[in-house]
Amino acid sequence: MSEETQKQAVQTTGHAWDGDLQEFNNPLPRWWLWGFYATVVFAVIYWVLYPAWPVGKGYTTGAFNDIEFTTADGREVVSHWNTRALFYKEMEEARTLQKPYLDQLKAASYREIAVDRDKSAFAYSMAKVLFADNCAACHQAGGAGIIGQYPNLADDSWLWGGTYARIEETIRKGRHGFMPDFADSLTPQQIDDVATYVLSLSGIEVDAEQAARGKAIFTGPEGGCFACHTREGTGMAALGSANLTDSIWTIADVNGAEDLAGKKAAVRAVIANGVKREMPAWENRLNDTEIRILTFYVHQLGGGQ
Amino acid sequence: MAAASASAGEQYNYDIVRKFTVMALVWGVLGMLAGVYIASELAWPILNLDNPALTFGRLRPVHTTLVIFGFGGSALFATSYYVVQRTCQTRLFSDGLANFTFWGWQLSVGLAAISYMAGYTQAREYAEMVWPIDLLIAVTWVAYLVVYVVTLTRRSQPHIYVANWFFIAFILATALLHIFNNMAVPVSFFSLESYSLHAGVQDAMTQWWYGHNAVGFFLTAAFLGMMYYFVPKQAGRPVYSYRLSIIHFWALIFLYMWVGGHHLHWTALPDWTSTLAATFSILLLLPSWGGMINGIMTLSGAWDKLRTDPVIRFMVVSLSFYGMSTFEGPLMSLKSVNALSHYTDWTIGHVHSGALGWVAMVSFGSLYHLVPRLWETTMYSVRAIYLHFWLATIGIVLYISAMWVSGIGQGLMLRAFDEYGNLAYNFIETVSFLHKPYVIRAFGGALFVTGIIIMGWNVVMTIRKGRREAAEIEARIAAKMAAAS
Repeated sequence: MSEETQKQAVQTTGHAWDGDLQEFNNPLPRWWLWGFYATVVFAVIYWVLYPAWPVGKGYTTGAFNDIEFTTADGREVVSHWNTRALFYKEMEEARTLQKPYLDQLKAASYREIAVDRDKSAFAYSMAKVLFADNCAACHQAGGAGIIGQYPNLADDSWLWGGTYARIEETIRKGRHGFMPDFADSLTPQQIDDVATYVLSLSGIEVDAEQAARGKAIFTGPEGGCFACHTREGTGMAALGSANLTDSIWTIADVNGAEDLAGKKAAVRAVIANGVKREMPAWENRLNDTEIRILTFYVHQLGGGQ
Repeated sequence: MAAASASAGEQYNYDIVRKFTVMALVWGVLGMLAGVYIASELAWPILNLDNPALTFGRLRPVHTTLVIFGFGGSALFATSYYVVQRTCQTRLFSDGLANFTFWGWQLSVGLAAISYMAGYTQAREYAEMVWPIDLLIAVTWVAYLVVYVVTLTRRSQPHIYVANWFFIAFILATALLHIFNNMAVPVSFFSLESYSLHAGVQDAMTQWWYGHNAVGFFLTAAFLGMMYYFVPKQAGRPVYSYRLSIIHFWALIFLYMWVGGHHLHWTALPDWTSTLAATFSILLLLPSWGGMINGIMTLSGAWDKLRTDPVIRFMVVSLSFYGMSTFEGPLMSLKSVNALSHYTDWTIGHVHSGALGWVAMVSFGSLYHLVPRLWETTMYSVRAIYLHFWLATIGIVLYISAMWVSGIGQGLMLRAFDEYGNLAYNFIETVSFLHKPYVIRAFGGALFVTGIIIMGWNVVMTIRKGRREAAEIEARIAAKMAAAS
């Protein structure tokens, strides 16, 4: 201890603050100094390779570090290193991997995609992200939708038809789901009658007499429900009118209601308030191939027709 | 010597140091609680409680403002006022102005937190305060500069101690940064909203010039000032190298000003600007380590104290985290690393290894040194200091490990392509991946906040003990006087 103190006592700067605060004057550690020089060399090399110093109205562009890439429209570009060029280059790499599959898919029919393992595997891989980015916000990650708001794409009931052609049309052009409200044209009692009849169509046990009254309204001029939902209540894909006989409910949460009164209330609300919902058109946001891939994906999500 | 320290309470203005010390702990507890709450919100979003004032977006600036400016700022006011008086052997200039800095600062922090929860923000990170609060801060800060500089000029020591260089650099740079980053035109005299004077990418660059120098001067240079006084004092050993302190001081001060652009890699910022920011960040590595070396080597003759002195432990761990995060920072500032790390939790983890590991730990150590001297007693419980130390250290390790996993994991997922050239993951898959790390992070943060709550209790008990002892001495003196007469 005394030897060390003596050695270091020689090295202090001779100043003292606040009683005992002193400073040794050890030399800079060698490794520290050489480390600092190394970072200087690193920085200079970085400056040589990348755009670095502003000069006049331009800047040093960097050398030995050019980026070559092909743009989406086929132009070949050689550029000094820059963020945007690197982005294009990485996108080009992804595009090169995608291209053979996309070329095959463009020419293939939906059936051909479905039976070809390579093609369908590619379509699933691409559709997964397309669906998540564009569709899942409403239809949810698994396509199950939200009752009362967004249709379920994962069951085998299709409001607007479940063939490839119909699904593609739905995505391309969008859809307007509309049912008029009957709050003014029917009395509350009549609405309750119709609701009772509608529930009976899906096999729910209700008061037969009341259901019969509802049926008269449903199929007669008073309600006129049959005009869209058909006399049998099976709906029409051309109009997007729901099939009321299949126990699948997209707007009234009948299956979620605990008792008959709750089920009735849910259906009454739809009849009284009507339905007004919209799916936007995607033909100007997605390209043809993307729409076809999404069509294929949605078709298999819920037992397409 | 004994007489001098007994009268230190009167020779120096300790009152202002005491006030800032207490507020540092108050803001520290509140700010870190806010942090644990928002960390829990990210793990369990239901904690938003559908109340706008409690959402992550509003509470996050409350958290950062309370911990950086409330806790860190008050700790810096306290220690810098203490250090400048002790090392200049002169009383702090103007009790009135010093008190003004106290009330100005506390008011600014309190008003800022309330205004964020009410939805008022300037939307500039770490500078969210609306313009009237900015003005209050500017005035307070200029008063701080005056108090500090005038005190320095009145020193009865020929040389200015190294800690004071760092404090002065911090005060000057913060004034510059605060004023230039907050130049704005209010929408109207009675509106809290304002338009920034800068536009587009220049506005972003100004913000990050401020943002990174808030890290560089507020959270680094100033806390190095703290380190340069409290580490040699606590260790009872001279600073390792005066030469190193000069070199790394000027290198640090010069280089930090350039690096803000590394927060804007891969954006509209010109590539040359971002290159300069990256390389100056690399150049900053060794100058930062200069401070760590000087701290650690100062302790190197006193390793035996690690076993017996929990305060030294706080200091060693803080210097180690300082060294680690100043290595990690330059690494993340490289464009290619940043392409992975940017917009992920890696950044959050990095900030917290600096903020919890370095800033908070060195503050805890310094305050544990300071509190018994301010209230002229010993700490109420040394075992509680050990407990605080372990809670804090384990908390930090859990926190930053969780953020490495979530940050690097999400970064890799976001850029992954599958064999077809399609994105391998969609965004929501990366979000659900984050859940587990978020739970661990919230738990680590809870350990850390438990530590500072224990410290708060320990300090309150110490103050009460100090007052009781002072009263006893006074009673004894009074009794003696009575007996003598």
